[in-house]
Amino acid sequence: MKHKHYIFILVFIGLAVTLSACAGGATTASSWPGLTVDEQYAYVAYNTQVYAVDLVNGSERWRYPAEPDNNITFYTDPSLSQDGQLIVGSYDFVLYSLDAESGVQNWNFSGADNRYIASSLVEEKNIFAPAADENLYSLDLNGRLQWTFSSEGESWAQPITDENCNCLFLPSMDHTVYAIDPQNGTQKWRSPKLGGAIVGTPAYNENGVLFVGTFGGKLFALNAEDGSIIWEFSTADGGWIWSGPTLSEGVVYFGDLNGYFYAVDADNGSQMWQLPPEQLDGEIVGSPLVIEDSIYITSEDGILFKLDTAGRIQWSQPIGGKIYTSPKAANDLILVAPIQIDELLVAVNQDGVRQWSFIPVEK
Amino acid sequence: MDIGAIWSTLILNPMINSLMWIYSGLAQNFGLAIIVFTILVRLITYPLTASQIKSTKSMQDMQKSKKWLDIQKKYKGDREKLSKEQMNLYKEMGVSPFGSCLPTVIQFPVIIGLYQAIIRALAVTPFQLLELTRHIYPFYNAAALIPLNNYFLWLDLSLPEKDYGVAIAGFTIPILAILVMATTFLQSRLMTPPSTTGDQGANMGRAMTLYMPLFMGYLAYSFPSGLALYFVTSNLIGILQYGVMGKLDWRNLLPARFSSGSKTPK
Repeated sequence: MKHKHYIFILVFIGLAVTLSACAGGATTASSWPGLTVDEQYAYVAYNTQVYAVDLVNGSERWRYPAEPDNNITFYTDPSLSQDGQLIVGSYDFVLYSLDAESGVQNWNFSGADNRYIASSLVEEKNIFAPAADENLYSLDLNGRLQWTFSSEGESWAQPITDENCNCLFLPSMDHTVYAIDPQNGTQKWRSPKLGGAIVGTPAYNENGVLFVGTFGGKLFALNAEDGSIIWEFSTADGGWIWSGPTLSEGVVYFGDLNGYFYAVDADNGSQMWQLPPEQLDGEIVGSPLVIEDSIYITSEDGILFKLDTAGRIQWSQPIGGKIYTSPKAANDLILVAPIQIDELLVAVNQDGVRQWSFIPVEK
Repeated sequence: MDIGAIWSTLILNPMINSLMWIYSGLAQNFGLAIIVFTILVRLITYPLTASQIKSTKSMQDMQKSKKWLDIQKKYKGDREKLSKEQMNLYKEMGVSPFGSCLPTVIQFPVIIGLYQAIIRALAVTPFQLLELTRHIYPFYNAAALIPLNNYFLWLDLSLPEKDYGVAIAGFTIPILAILVMATTFLQSRLMTPPSTTGDQGANMGRAMTLYMPLFMGYLAYSFPSGLALYFVTSNLIGILQYGVMGKLDWRNLLPARFSSGSKTPK
């Protein structure tokens, strides 16, 4: 009989291990890379590391931490401060400040009770860090807490600010946008419910209009003075909008999870043109990158597209893997951060020709 | 269509959307949605439960029969012959040797599917949320529900209890895991019929009664609390169902020497 007990114990241990494996370990990526650039480096935050990559040739300048710790994972776009700090939030509920030149940790802030999924907004003297504990933390550049603003939902998108109205706009998963006084964290207004969660960073124009995409399949133009709705635009088939809109020359560009890409007049919300999913191969999660008359977008199926402002595809470059991260411009390069392939960062020129790629070396 | 797509179509998508649909009708309370969903699952799988009880009873009756005991004695030294005669007896008495375990096996996909449905519906990371959008049926307004409220009583249904449970002097008290262990033990004991010592099946049953609560407690402690809530609810409904069928044996809660059913054969 005794050996039968051992069999039971072994069977249960086997089941537990199998189920644990199904649940995924700490090293299983739960999001896609965060990407930021300055004139010298691209900073990629993915899984257990933050990398600084030389823009000249794609070589690794530094990585943080030197030894990966499965409990500390990074997926937000790192943010740069004017005094050379790289601010990046982690899934271990801690906000880290690194020296952008060396990758050495300056300080960390551990006041949050949940993950950092959104990027922080870094201003001249302040850091505004939304966490998934429904709080927005305002810190000074030494990591000291200034104030905390509590909303009714998690924030997964970077807040934006406007110099004219002295406002901080915080998009929330609670289907609303908050306008906050950046000096003291008091609420100025809260938008009406917009029909779905907001996970993309809004865009703002000089006329005091805020553009917000929602899971309700609508793009809203809000009055930045009071949060009232100026106009709304519905996507085809009610496609959910993940991508934050990009504003350029009076046109709002964004994609949806059904794979449509839209250009909408910022003044009145009328559609200027759209590209259907058949032309773009997959969901559009990242925000478009607009440089002068060119629009760069990535689709889930691992392709980088260049469009002109009339919606014509100029070229498409298969990168491989899947792409959810917004493309970024650095000098003359377009940077793309795919996943599920060896390359973590790929640089192409503006004609779509690959210049270099960065593959992290396992240490 | 690959296996993943078939699994999603047949198991996962209906579960996710049922949970969300129930959630929308229950004041957007995901804990209540899990409880109601569990009741529905137990009602739907009731024919399996009833069949399992019937098969178990038939098997026990057969193993107490004179014919069974005779062939055990007669072919004690010849395993091959014993096995053949046992199979003949199964056929003769119309008992399926797998009748009692098959319903349990069939419930495994339900448990796995529910685990995946809870994780996906609560979607606490970008990948999980993106994945959720691919499983949603278009005929209701899911966008208005997301993100789901993952709090119920003291529980965060999206996290394992070990990550947030009530801590005393730095030690997390796994209240839900204890409830899962207690109800699993109760269910096993109340539904295990009295048996004779030395009976191989009874020995297996006793071992299951001992290890299964520990195993379920481990799962409840390590996996998101939504799954543990399903376990507790499912166990309680199971006990209730057996009670309604008049199959509960309260004597089994007593130590063996007080239970008239546990007699050593002379």
